[in-house]
Amino acid sequence: MNYRSRVDRRTLLKGVGVSLALPFMDSLSWAAGGNSARPPVRLGFMYMPHGVIMDEFWPKSPEAYHKSPPAAIESLRPILDQCLMMKGISGVPIAPFGGAPHALELSTWLTATLPDADTRSRVNIAISADQIMANYVGAHTLLPSLELATMPQTWKENQAGLHEAYYSHCSYRSPTQTVPAEIDPRLVLNRLFGKKGKAGLVTKANPLDRQMLDRVLGGARDLRRTLARTDQLKLDEYLDSVRATERRIAAIEYRQQEAALEKAGVRSTKRHSNDSPPIEVKIPEGDKRSEYMQVMCDLTVLAFQTDTTRVSTYIGSTPNGVSYPELGFTDKHHSQTHHENRKEQVRKVAAITKFNIDQFAYMVKKMASLREGDGSLLDNCIMMWGSGMEDGNKHSRENLPFIIAGKGGGSINTGRFLPDTKGNQGDLLTTLLSCAGVPLDRPIGIATRQITEMKV
Amino acid sequence: MRSSRVFQIVAAKVTGLALALSLISPCQAQPDDVIADEASLRADAEKTFKEKVGPFVNKYCINCHGPRAEAGINLKSALRIPGAASSFLHWKKAMANVKVHDMPPDHAEKIPTDKERRQFIEWIGKLKYLAQRDPGHFVIRRLSKVEYGNTLHDLYGVDPSIADSLPEEVVGEGYLNSISPLQSELFLDIANKVIDQVVSPTDEPPTEVQKGLFGETPPNGADLRKAARQVARSLARDAYRRPPTEAELDVLVGIFDIARENDLGYRSSLGLMWKAVLVSPQFLFSTPAVDVDSKDSVVPLDDYQLASRLSYLLWSTPPDAELSALAEKGELHKPEVLRAQVERLLMHDRSRALFDGFGSQWLGVGGLESQTFDPDVFPQMTLALRKAMMEEARLFFQSIVRENQSVFRFVDSDYTFLNEPLAELYGLEQSVKGPTMRRVKLENPNRGGILGMPATLATTSFPNRTSAVRRGVWVLEQILGERVPPPPPNVPELEEQEQQSKEGLTLRQRTELHQSEPTCANCHKLLDPIGFGLENFDAIGRWREKDDAGVVIDSAGKLPDGESFSTPAELKGLLARRKTDLARNLTEKMMAYALGRQLEGYDEIVIDQLMVKIAQDKYRVRTMITEVITSYLFTHRKVKG
Repeated sequence: MNYRSRVDRRTLLKGVGVSLALPFMDSLSWAAGGNSARPPVRLGFMYMPHGVIMDEFWPKSPEAYHKSPPAAIESLRPILDQCLMMKGISGVPIAPFGGAPHALELSTWLTATLPDADTRSRVNIAISADQIMANYVGAHTLLPSLELATMPQTWKENQAGLHEAYYSHCSYRSPTQTVPAEIDPRLVLNRLFGKKGKAGLVTKANPLDRQMLDRVLGGARDLRRTLARTDQLKLDEYLDSVRATERRIAAIEYRQQEAALEKAGVRSTKRHSNDSPPIEVKIPEGDKRSEYMQVMCDLTVLAFQTDTTRVSTYIGSTPNGVSYPELGFTDKHHSQTHHENRKEQVRKVAAITKFNIDQFAYMVKKMASLREGDGSLLDNCIMMWGSGMEDGNKHSRENLPFIIAGKGGGSINTGRFLPDTKGNQGDLLTTLLSCAGVPLDRPIGIATRQITEMKV
Repeated sequence: MRSSRVFQIVAAKVTGLALALSLISPCQAQPDDVIADEASLRADAEKTFKEKVGPFVNKYCINCHGPRAEAGINLKSALRIPGAASSFLHWKKAMANVKVHDMPPDHAEKIPTDKERRQFIEWIGKLKYLAQRDPGHFVIRRLSKVEYGNTLHDLYGVDPSIADSLPEEVVGEGYLNSISPLQSELFLDIANKVIDQVVSPTDEPPTEVQKGLFGETPPNGADLRKAARQVARSLARDAYRRPPTEAELDVLVGIFDIARENDLGYRSSLGLMWKAVLVSPQFLFSTPAVDVDSKDSVVPLDDYQLASRLSYLLWSTPPDAELSALAEKGELHKPEVLRAQVERLLMHDRSRALFDGFGSQWLGVGGLESQTFDPDVFPQMTLALRKAMMEEARLFFQSIVRENQSVFRFVDSDYTFLNEPLAELYGLEQSVKGPTMRRVKLENPNRGGILGMPATLATTSFPNRTSAVRRGVWVLEQILGERVPPPPPNVPELEEQEQQSKEGLTLRQRTELHQSEPTCANCHKLLDPIGFGLENFDAIGRWREKDDAGVVIDSAGKLPDGESFSTPAELKGLLARRKTDLARNLTEKMMAYALGRQLEGYDEIVIDQLMVKIAQDKYRVRTMITEVITSYLFTHRKVKG
């Protein structure tokens, strides 16, 4: 055995700052200490492309928000006091990419940044808000973040010369790396909670695997040096994913250790005794869109409830031509949004919007019904549903449609519709992260201010 | 170029002009006269560029496609470095738009004459000669789910279904080569399963496969680390598809050490080491050799890489014993040896992988099984029928390869493969009985070939009706290899145009409304007539005389070059005569698939040379495949620059 190289590798790992030992102790004990410790804030996003029918989405007035909410948000009625709507948040102006409104509605949604024009045929944008939060709190949980999607993330178009990944990704780990989303609920369930679908029951973790993977990563870095630059990026994804696997094994070990201690009565669990038990998740058999989306929502709820992750992103559909057979529409969502104000198509777009918000409502209402700490799970979450486009017919982006549910651990002043907010997408994301307790060293994308009026 | 290999990055090659002089190196298998010829062609191209292309672009294009780079087409940088690979796509797109009169836009101040347009297109055709001689980097890619399962099976005797838990691969161009954290966990999980199946518990006798992998357990007192290094060497040789480097062995033996330090027995320690092999990038990706002992910027692939590239291309498996032995002996790169191996692999039944991987992508039928069809309109589109449709396409593709038929037979042939349910779509259910697929001679000239085949007709349709536009695009792009500019972003699809006011119009009349819209007309007057030529086939490929509205179908139309036709059979005949276009398109698509990247710049010159040879052998398909595999591009790679 070559001892020198072995020592070098360990030193190297430290130098690179790959944290393999995880700082669990201080962070996971949030509920263990009794009432003084507060549950962490979780942040979740859910996306629908192509915008909405404005008249059926925005409340007529702050009063009407409660008294006669528009049809689109009807399903949220029971918890409107825990929601917040703000009109006047504008999207990123897409001027140099006028020919690619749909690639940009999704890719700018959580970045508030335009792709780099000179390198547009590659991915080069900015780290997204969810991943900024994952960097900050991700080390505390089994998974740094959860990314889900309804559709496979592929689309064979690169309008305005943009890389096609911009059509199907909103999460970016770094300016040049997309975060792929999972689309198979069964795999996600197994991954999060083991085969039995119960929290805490995880697949076996072999501590030696972690050391083994560490060495494999070292070897992979040698290989990386021999590759062309584009191939290095591919290998970087491999390295990141293997690192995530290492972390996960470490987290599983920690969890097993904790379960053993708990069983021995040595210390209390991190859950309050009066917290609701973890929800049950059933994988639907058929291919009904609503059932599919609801199981993805359930997985998000369960992941948050069990503190498996604190950040989630669910791309309810990508801007690439999905249809809604469940609503009786065989035409594509996108084409219908170019309705030219024709009644029949306007009706369809409104129905699709309502359908998507209904699934979001299913998720946040469930969260509102689950006890956590002194309140509900939703009280400690910030859940945002929205679209990166205002009106799909005109491709306008002046008033991005979105709904926030949850009080963010008491940071968000809910139960209101603010009809005349001034701000942009970057301002909104910056404020959301601030509410989630994430300190930022710089504003996100085009942000210039925080939207203080949404805070308590 | 649409049909790049599944999961491939479409990488822009980084070409440095500084390399210009060093690129012509003696190691390349090209005769001198070819190179001399290239030099004169390059001089001519430079002249053409300076005198013709530059002025045209400056006059008609640069206002919008300069620094502003409207629609992502930047001709300013393309003018600066016309031969660079990065400029190539800009030229191609520009040409496509100028060709169909889509650009310059009608409202532009200066509009080129038709003659100027034709000349521009011809000039652009010469630009490839400005490109430097360059086979491109070796593009690494992850093994697909199918390849991964096959590899575990071939090397370790486990059932390929052991990979079933991996997510389905998404077919498409793009960066989809990635490994998500979930996949990474599954690779580890599957590695555990493989080891559990193969390695017996410590107190039981070893399995046969285990003996083959781990050898005999060394006697007491022997140097276990030395033995482990030997095991690592042979494990890695198979799994990495090449001999491992000493540094790679250091890593593996280091993992053996970790296991020993944690009091694992010899057998279990080898198990951990093997697991490391199975989750290593050298196993999961097809990668080039780590060390290149050369001062040249372009080197031939070594025989191991060649064996691996060849085997995954034609069989989706790691190299078998014969290929591996030829690689060990350093003989595979010899042209006659390589040709013989291509022949052997293609004639073996495992070459069906070429249809599953390449053929189904080329024809665009990969998604047929999961495609949505309106169950009220097409209740017969069961999974069984869809599978039969796919099987028909596969058997037909394979028969053309096996029998080494000419490429035009893809379009114009007089046989197909049917079972009874599929024969119903052909109206041949009287003569074809039972669920088994068999070869059937076709008397109807409208059938026979990929144009009149249910699988392709269905995948180019909407859930409830046909689409002349999609079929037109399919014929132009997949069969003739034309580049069709994308529709402008704000245009609704035809189906969304208000239905009521259009009632009573035939699909043709409705689609022709498209052509009255100036932004649409330029392209649609090319696309639509081809699609209408196939209107006699409904959305699942049945023959019909009248459309859904009960109106008699008018399937007359013409191709972009003006040749007209009045039935699908005539359309078929016209397309089959365009052997050069058909063959070139298929060659380009096959090459892109084989290399795992888009074709650019210099690639075109290589394709030109291949086309000469392929034409000499009457465009036979197996000849074409062999030429692709023995080409400079397939057998070389750039290592510097």
